[in-house]
Amino acid sequence: MDYFTQAFLSAFKLILLFDTELYYVAWTSLKISLISVTLTAIICLPLGILFSLNRFRGKRSIQNILNTLMALPTVVVGLLLFGLLGRQGPMGELGLLYTQTAMIAGQCILIFPIILNLVIAGANTADPRIASTSIVMGANHYQKNIIFISEVRFAMLAAIVAAFGRAIGEVGVAMMLGGNIEGYTRTMTTAIALETSKGEFEFGLALGFLLLLVAYIVNILMERFNRLST
Amino acid sequence: MTDAYRIEGLHYKYGDNSVIDLAQYEFQQAMTHVLVGPNGSGKTTLFNVLSLLLKPLSGEIYLLGEKVIDENRLALRRRIGYVQQRPYLFNTSVFENIAIGMKLRGVSKHLRESRTNNIIEQLGLNSLKNKRAHELSGGEMQKIALARTLVLEPEILILDEPFTYLDKAFSLILETLLLNIREHKTQTVIISTHDHMRAHLLGDHVSSIINGKLIDESTINLIHGRYLSDKQVFDTGKLLITIGHANQETSIIAVEPNEIVLSLHELDSSMRNRFQGHVTGFVAYDDRIEVSIDAGEKFHAVISDHAMKELDLEIGSKIWVSFKSSAVKLVN
Repeated sequence: MDYFTQAFLSAFKLILLFDTELYYVAWTSLKISLISVTLTAIICLPLGILFSLNRFRGKRSIQNILNTLMALPTVVVGLLLFGLLGRQGPMGELGLLYTQTAMIAGQCILIFPIILNLVIAGANTADPRIASTSIVMGANHYQKNIIFISEVRFAMLAAIVAAFGRAIGEVGVAMMLGGNIEGYTRTMTTAIALETSKGEFEFGLALGFLLLLVAYIVNILMERFNRLST
Repeated sequence: MTDAYRIEGLHYKYGDNSVIDLAQYEFQQAMTHVLVGPNGSGKTTLFNVLSLLLKPLSGEIYLLGEKVIDENRLALRRRIGYVQQRPYLFNTSVFENIAIGMKLRGVSKHLRESRTNNIIEQLGLNSLKNKRAHELSGGEMQKIALARTLVLEPEILILDEPFTYLDKAFSLILETLLLNIREHKTQTVIISTHDHMRAHLLGDHVSSIINGKLIDESTINLIHGRYLSDKQVFDTGKLLITIGHANQETSIIAVEPNEIVLSLHELDSSMRNRFQGHVTGFVAYDDRIEVSIDAGEKFHAVISDHAMKELDLEIGSKIWVSFKSSAVKLVN
């Protein structure tokens, strides 16, 4: 049996035998990404709707900046926060560097423009008859906004899924702000990088499969949740 | 009886184009009003204003005796049911779509469900009940939009071209329902349609809407052309109609159908407008008959049963159309 096949088999074995270390790393990744996405979504969903529904000066410029920030390199976010949270930095006294909190903050910054931009794009392309139909059906101002949010929920869910994908798969922020500490800040991506460099290809491969599986399950859950919500 | 609507000095513009221009107009309560007019005549804008969706640029609306102001706009709007020409259905189930107006008004869940089921049963929509709204065809969407408005039993029901996408069977159901409302005078209904025959079938009162102005039903003989002031005639391109004094810019006139005299031979009378044509159709209403004649321009004349028998008309019969210049109204 060649090296590659052997590695695949060992990786599946680790997954099927519920290797504690493997699943703890996966859980850490999942937890940090879910918290990041939840916190960012709480801010960005209403902000994106407000942004889309209101006219103000500089709107187009802000949208251009958001578009640019969609491709924000993870290491740049890691670098900036490292500077802020490091011992020499202005927020160094907080002692947040190499903590899960620092990783969450970094991921929030990373996915903020993604969720905001995709929600704005979804709201901008919503059917213009939504508002008039709500009014005609007797909605007050508050009810009209709730209906609008409900009608663009697909765009919101797509934004959340895209952001989650970005957060769980990023390595720059996790590595620079988390420091890859075993049992604390080690995530799937940082572990893959470390284990592979150590020659533990099977462990890295098993984490890779789990990463894909998580992304797939999240998509399925989102779709099901969406169906239940209607 | 209170008017459902009393409109004073109502204007609405898109850019420089005036689309509603109503100095004074009333829609009587518990009557069925039908508005007939071509595309772009201002029907939809007027309906958007009447449903309190759009605010007019100037003028006042009194709805069921109350002057519409910002403070009572929502409460008054909830007394109106409006089905738009291209209705939007929310991205939920058909059932939820029908129930949404009641939900927004705070009707209890139990009552919502029972009333929704009733209207679904009444309109024969059972097969659509569990479908998602966005899976429906244009005609099915129109049916659901009607159902979600009818279920509210609004005091005023406004329907913009409700028959456009409907199949024959459902058109008949809707016609029966509207005739029932008309007979029992339970609601004020305002409908727009292109179809003159249907307008007369359904309406207590039929108006034409031309360039944002409402013209009484009698003026269904709308004729376009230009006024020749030196001869005091209106040149339609096919006929010269004597109309007396008019404004140089007059471009649309209307001839009162009740004042058109039909005869088998040219009349020797003071009526200066006499044109020969042929009969193209008939529509019977209770004790009167509307005869359509093509005399270069199309005319509709309303005559009695008795006159109809005397003339012994049939499709294609040669006939003379005569009317006085005073039977002509200047529309625009």
